[in-house]
Formats: sequence, structure tokens, C-alpha cells
Amino acid sequence: MAAESKALNPGLYKQTLLAGLWRENPVFRLLLGMCPTLAVTAAVKPALTMGLSVIFVLICSNIVVSLMRNLLKPHLRILMFTLTIATFVTIADLFLKAFQPVMSETLGPYVPLIIVNCIIICRAEACASKNGLVLSIIDALGMGVGFTFALCVLAGIREILSTGAIWEIKVLPAGFVPWAAMSMPVGAFITLGLLIGLVNKISKKQAKSSCH
Amino acid sequence: MLKIKHFIQQSWLLIVSSFCFGLLIAVTNAAWSPRIEQNQKDKLNNLMKTLIADANDFKMVLEAVQIPGRKGRITKTDIYEADDAEGRSIGFAFIASGPGFADKIKLVIAVDGKCEKFFGFDVLSSNETPGFGSKIKEDYYRNQFKGAPAGKLELVRVGKTEKLDSKIVAISGATVSSEAVVKIFNMYIDKVKEKLKAKGLINNGR
Repeated sequence: MAAESKALNPGLYKQTLLAGLWRENPVFRLLLGMCPTLAVTAAVKPALTMGLSVIFVLICSNIVVSLMRNLLKPHLRILMFTLTIATFVTIADLFLKAFQPVMSETLGPYVPLIIVNCIIICRAEACASKNGLVLSIIDALGMGVGFTFALCVLAGIREILSTGAIWEIKVLPAGFVPWAAMSMPVGAFITLGLLIGLVNKISKKQAKSSCH
Repeated sequence: MLKIKHFIQQSWLLIVSSFCFGLLIAVTNAAWSPRIEQNQKDKLNNLMKTLIADANDFKMVLEAVQIPGRKGRITKTDIYEADDAEGRSIGFAFIASGPGFADKIKLVIAVDGKCEKFFGFDVLSSNETPGFGSKIKEDYYRNQFKGAPAGKLELVRVGKTEKLDSKIVAISGATVSSEAVVKIFNMYIDKVKEKLKAKGLINNGR
């Protein structure tokens, strides 16, 4: 009955979709999936490829977990989630190797490492294993797009400051001296820290104004 | 009997899912593996073609040549012969790998038909520090190897980069990566020359 009432509530779909984008953004609010966030955001192209791969894996794993949720044994559920996620990550990895070999090489081991990305197992556990198919797909889409958005923002800032270009197109004047540190791990940590601080400030401001 | 029944009751979903997922991966792999292999071959061919510009065709002449590495570890590599439009051998290329600063560096090294000079190298894969170690891919460093004698190379901190000799000037701020490339060259070149000579391929070269 609970699932039915959820399915009949159209506002819930919108709320679920938007939650992943801002209120529960996996990177800026939940601080999940930090490994690819720090490792593949030196440029926008690999960040977008990583984001799209995560969206694919999230949607597919949420569909499968949602469909088998009534058959899952509690003590075997994590094993089932990992098996499901690993399958779709392998498919995504093979796809990139076959159709985007340059990106596959740039991302290196970070594509297979999606298997241990906390966002995916978190959504399988928190949403897909408890909700119907439509809500699970919407949740995966919201979280995936939120993750991709965060990665692209971070990568955009780092790419501009480290090369003076974005998407390999020069945007800063020729006299600009690239900040090499921005393409290194230190640049990723500093930019992520500043962005999380900014998001927290905006959220607090929003919360205050909604109270008034 | 009861134990088996209990086991099946508990794990049937896992067994069925494993079979289905395994099948899905096998089908996907079967469908895309020819393309993946082709991509790898194309990349290697492109790199070899960049290094030996006059080459018309590459054919494998020596397979799985054993190269003794550090701590007695053996690595294997294939040696390709580059032929010009008239079918004459004009050089050789091979994949060489070794430890870099952050990860393994994989290079494609090319030598001339007589194994006297290096045609140069290109990076097949590396994870060196962006902005520093990654400069091993830049012309400033790579050009020093073009025309250098095909023998043991030496890394120096200062010197003339234009001079084509066995002294390779290190990249400022990336000495470890520069040294790693030179070490890879030194690890492979003698063995490759020895094997090519043993097979009588060097004398055929122009």
C-alpha cells in the first residue's frame, strides 16, 4: 500500500529528481564518490565521460535491484548489489574501450573503480531496494545528473585555471600564466573544499529565508 | 538433504543472477572485443607510423622477446619490422615499459634498419604528474632521442638538447620521469639488438 501511495504521488517524482541535483547532491552535500571527484576532474571531457558512465550504471543497477527487491535476502543483499553494479560497470568499461578509446585511456582505472563508488551502492540500498521501478529510475537519474553536474563544475574551474581553456577551447587571454597546481591533486582538493563551502553557505541562506 | 535445500533456498537468486550477468558480460565482450583489439592495433600502428614516417607496412618479426628487468623480472615484447613502399626494411619498433614516477610508463621505441640510431619514441600510456612528468610526451624532451645512437643512454641535468648524442637532458622538475624513460631505453635496446642480430634481420636493413 505504501508503495502504491508513493507511486500515485506525482510531487514525489519531482522531489526525488531534484533532491539529487541540489538538496542531496552526492558530491556537495552527501560527500559520496570522492575518489572519481578528485581524480578525473582535471578537464571537463573526462569528467563528463565519468558522469555519463555513472548515470548508466546507476540507472541499470537501480532497475535490477528494484525488480528483485522482494526476492532479496537481507544477508545477501550487499553481495547482490555488488554483483549487479560490477556487471554494468564492466559493460560501461567495454563500451568506452570500444567506442571511446582515448577517454577510456584517460580515465584509466577509475572506470572499473565505479564498482566501489558509494553513490551507486547507497542508492541501491536507500532507494531501489525499497521502492518501485519508476521512483528508482528517477532517483538514479537525479543522483547521476547531480554527480555529473558537480564533476563538470569542478572540472571546468580546474581546466580553465590550469590551461586557460575549457573543453580544449582557449577562453583566457594569451598572457594568462597557467596554474599547474590546479591540474594536480592539490588543485582538486582546494577547489572541492571551496565549492562545498560555497554550497553550504547558499544552503544556509536558503534555509534562513525559508524560515522567515 | 535438508542442508542442500536450505542452501538453494538462500542462494538461488545469487546463482541465477550470477549466471545471467555472466552471460550478459560474455555477449557484450564477444560483440565488442574485435573493435577493442582493432583500436589497440590502430593506436600502436599510428604511433609506429609517426615514428617511422616512411614506413608503409609493419609486420611482427619477433614475438614475445624476453627482456630481463629489475630484480630479475622478465618482461616480454614483440618486435615489428617497418617496410617501405618497395618492401625494404627501414626500421624496427617495439613496445617497452618500466616504472615511472606515479605508474608504469609504456613507450613505443623505434630504431633504424641497422640498429645504429633511434628514430625516437612515443608514449603509449603513462600516468605521470600533469604539468611535470607528463612533459616526457613533449617535443622538447622527445626530440633528444631522434637520431641518438642506439645504445646505452645517459641522463644529464644540464646540457644541449639540440645535440644528438647519448646524453639526454632531464626535464626540469621531472627528473624521475626523465630518468624512467632513459632506464626503459637502456633496459630494452641491447636485448632487442641482440635478438635482431641473432635472427639476421639487422644486416638486411638499410
